[in-house]
Amino acid sequence: MRSVSYVERVALDFGGSLFPRAICLGDADNDTLNELVVGDTNGKLYVYKNDDSKPWAVRSCQGMLTCVGVGDICNKGKNLVVAVSAEGWFHLFDFTSPTSKHPDASGHHELAAAEEQKPVFKQHIPANTKVMLINDIDGDGKCELVVGYTDRVVRAFRWEDLSENSDHVSGQLFLLKKWLLEGQVDSLSVNPGPDGSPEMMVSQPGCGYAILLCTWDSEQQATTEGRDNSAPGSEAPIRDVILHQTSGRIHNKNVSTHLIGSIGRGSSSENSGSGLFALCTLDGTLKLMEGADKLLWSVQVDHQLFALEKLDVTGNGHEEVIACAWDGQTYIIDHNRTVARFQADENVSAFCAGLYACKGGSNSPCLVYVSFNQKIYIYWDVQLERMESTNLLKILDCNPEFGSLLQQLGVERSDVSAVKNLIHKTLYFPEKWQQSSDTQCQDPAGIDSSAHCSVIQDPL
Amino acid sequence: MGGEGSPLTPNFSRLSSQSNVYGLAALPAGEEGPGGLLAAALKGKVIHFRYHELQRRMRPLASELQFTYIPVDAEIVSIDSFPKSPPQRGLVVGITFIKDSGDKPSPFLNIYCDYEPGSEYDLDSVAQSCLKPGAAVHPFQLCHAEVRSGDSLETVFLLSGNDPAVHLYKENSSSHQFEEQPIQRLFPELQDLPSNVLWLHVLTLPGSASHRITAFGCQSGHVRVAHVDQSAVLQSWSIQQDGPISKVLVFPLELDPDTSGQGDFSVLVASTMELSVVYRDVLRRGLTDQCPLPGSDLHDSVLCALAPDLDFDGHPELLLGTYGQELLCYKYSQGEFRLLWSRRFPSPLLSLLYSDLTGDGLAELAVVCVRGLHVLQVRHRLEPGRFAVSWSGSGRSWGPPRTPPNKPGSGSSWGPPNPLGWAWDHGGGGARPGLVHRETLGGA
Repeated sequence: MRSVSYVERVALDFGGSLFPRAICLGDADNDTLNELVVGDTNGKLYVYKNDDSKPWAVRSCQGMLTCVGVGDICNKGKNLVVAVSAEGWFHLFDFTSPTSKHPDASGHHELAAAEEQKPVFKQHIPANTKVMLINDIDGDGKCELVVGYTDRVVRAFRWEDLSENSDHVSGQLFLLKKWLLEGQVDSLSVNPGPDGSPEMMVSQPGCGYAILLCTWDSEQQATTEGRDNSAPGSEAPIRDVILHQTSGRIHNKNVSTHLIGSIGRGSSSENSGSGLFALCTLDGTLKLMEGADKLLWSVQVDHQLFALEKLDVTGNGHEEVIACAWDGQTYIIDHNRTVARFQADENVSAFCAGLYACKGGSNSPCLVYVSFNQKIYIYWDVQLERMESTNLLKILDCNPEFGSLLQQLGVERSDVSAVKNLIHKTLYFPEKWQQSSDTQCQDPAGIDSSAHCSVIQDPL
Repeated sequence: MGGEGSPLTPNFSRLSSQSNVYGLAALPAGEEGPGGLLAAALKGKVIHFRYHELQRRMRPLASELQFTYIPVDAEIVSIDSFPKSPPQRGLVVGITFIKDSGDKPSPFLNIYCDYEPGSEYDLDSVAQSCLKPGAAVHPFQLCHAEVRSGDSLETVFLLSGNDPAVHLYKENSSSHQFEEQPIQRLFPELQDLPSNVLWLHVLTLPGSASHRITAFGCQSGHVRVAHVDQSAVLQSWSIQQDGPISKVLVFPLELDPDTSGQGDFSVLVASTMELSVVYRDVLRRGLTDQCPLPGSDLHDSVLCALAPDLDFDGHPELLLGTYGQELLCYKYSQGEFRLLWSRRFPSPLLSLLYSDLTGDGLAELAVVCVRGLHVLQVRHRLEPGRFAVSWSGSGRSWGPPRTPPNKPGSGSSWGPPNPLGWAWDHGGGGARPGLVHRETLGGA
């Protein structure tokens, strides 16, 4: 298994303790560059920007923050920061620079007055929150808020605007639906279904998952059409949770499971059909699936995987699956099951991966580890040239011109050592070192050469 | 996509314990040699690293090699390996270690060489065939050099010890033994040493098997360079620097592309305390023409250096690895060395090796750090009608590449005789400039 070693890292100061889902990367201030948003158990919300070790903004919330998120929850084309506490307090913050509404703000944001430190909106929703998702789950083009609870309940909310003034946040969250599941929900995600429309997906213990059906449109229809107002009682048995187990032979049916959907597979592939999603368990199973019944790969590792992310580290449009274990061991796996490992230096209490604008004023793929020693480590620019180890012969073999060039030079393509020799001499021994020496060169520094060079002159 | 200026991410193998500056040796590749490299960790472990092809996929493989007669409490000091000079066949590995059993640490030199026909190049059986040419002095660097013995060439081990002296171990082919032989007969330039030799480099001059340049640097700061014809010192120069010399390296450096021939050899002297310097054209000017490497003293001591041709222009670049976790790349142009790029590593750099590990004719850069072995591959990517190979330590953007073309060097003397029409750019912008090389397949 290939191991990689990342060097470029920054350490951020973070004194508190946090829940594993109270960290996320996103464009909090709408300047097109991503920030890191962290919420701690004392209700403090921190926003980190660039490579500055001190938070760029700090806000106070009510209760222990269990999940934070960045998204256009009000559907106004502008990202807001959402922080939800275990006690059920939902906070909205607007970090967009007030002086300039344009996204090209310089990024220098003066700390605003005291009233601006307060959330722009606060509402109480049911308590015992655990995970949160801001995404379009019903395919209407607008974001919903989905919250998973510690009591195996998932609720979906929609933001309803109450004022006409588009600049001011005034409105309310309305409950769309409540689902009750059999097992603990550790992850919420959206994945394209077989027809390409989004499906709400939640993880279930034992490497399982459930699809939650968004039935509010039909319910609404039913009520507006007013067929039968006593219907809710009889409609109750409608199945709105479809449970899937991905394996019949699971060692531990109660093992904590994480899930992530909508894994990018490049622009080349057609967008129809089921999306890719990945599952991981605390006992070290990793799976990549396409739809409910197509297992692309499964990997078993001897680490306790507690966080699952997706990130395109090779820059080819295919997002790799990133799983992190408590001891910092991180697995990066592509769609072909090529694995690269990275070991973070310390034990981690929370992990996330995504784009972050650390240095140079542009987003780069990053791995974010929260340590137990008052530090958050961001390994930035974690690009890999490619996932697989390869060599030049394999790369050249993919090019049809390579074969014809070899033919012109009279080198047999299947003769690996001759091709290797040709490449070696082409690269390292320009003409001027040419001399009649038959000794096989061991020193690539360019001392020795061979008469072979003259052959490869201007073949065209 | 992805940015051609982005840094190449190395493959990484962890070592069980830390290595040192003498802990890396290349293994001969090809039809007979096993290929790859040997990395020795302090606690008696030797790792064989190579790329292995399985199901049409290249896989990096790092396995521990069990060399016999290395006790569990041994600490490996240095390792070296060479293939025997033809017509003799076989692979030779030398390992020096110190066994510290409490009261008095005792040094050893073990030489591994299998004479069994068919298994001369089999690393596992070589590791089982130990020759003990006698107890060594406290060892430093173990290296090898080719000498003329009668009509044929022979490769011998050179071990620097704390007596202070350099010891020569030569194979006695009749008795299948390696024996220590007096140094003065074959290496007269290595007599009367003022201090422990920390690094010795012997370069046989191309085109003549008997002429060589020998350079060494001592703990006391003494540097000596000698031009030797077989067993006669033609010329010798020495200089005294402040502080221990960590590395000396003889390499070809073309000072003036129009006038000079291939006789231009320069010597890099890397010091643990001072700026590293290159003494240019030592055969004509001795140690008089000094050319400093700017900024080479800014990252703690320089511990390792190499002069590979990273950009395939026929001229070597200088790579310096520092204890301050930086790999520095210098390029010589217009009479001076300029820092081309630098690359940061997660732990101090100990040794460097430039060798073809993937078996494609393109060399990889192996870097041994305190915490493990990194192998950096040249980035090669194929785009329709275009192929790019680049070495780089730069590039911070996640997006399209920023490479303003800027062709250095004189175009006339530099005509790459390849069908692929190499062109090269300097990766511009950013604090860390890099190199990006492109070639157009069938173009130009």
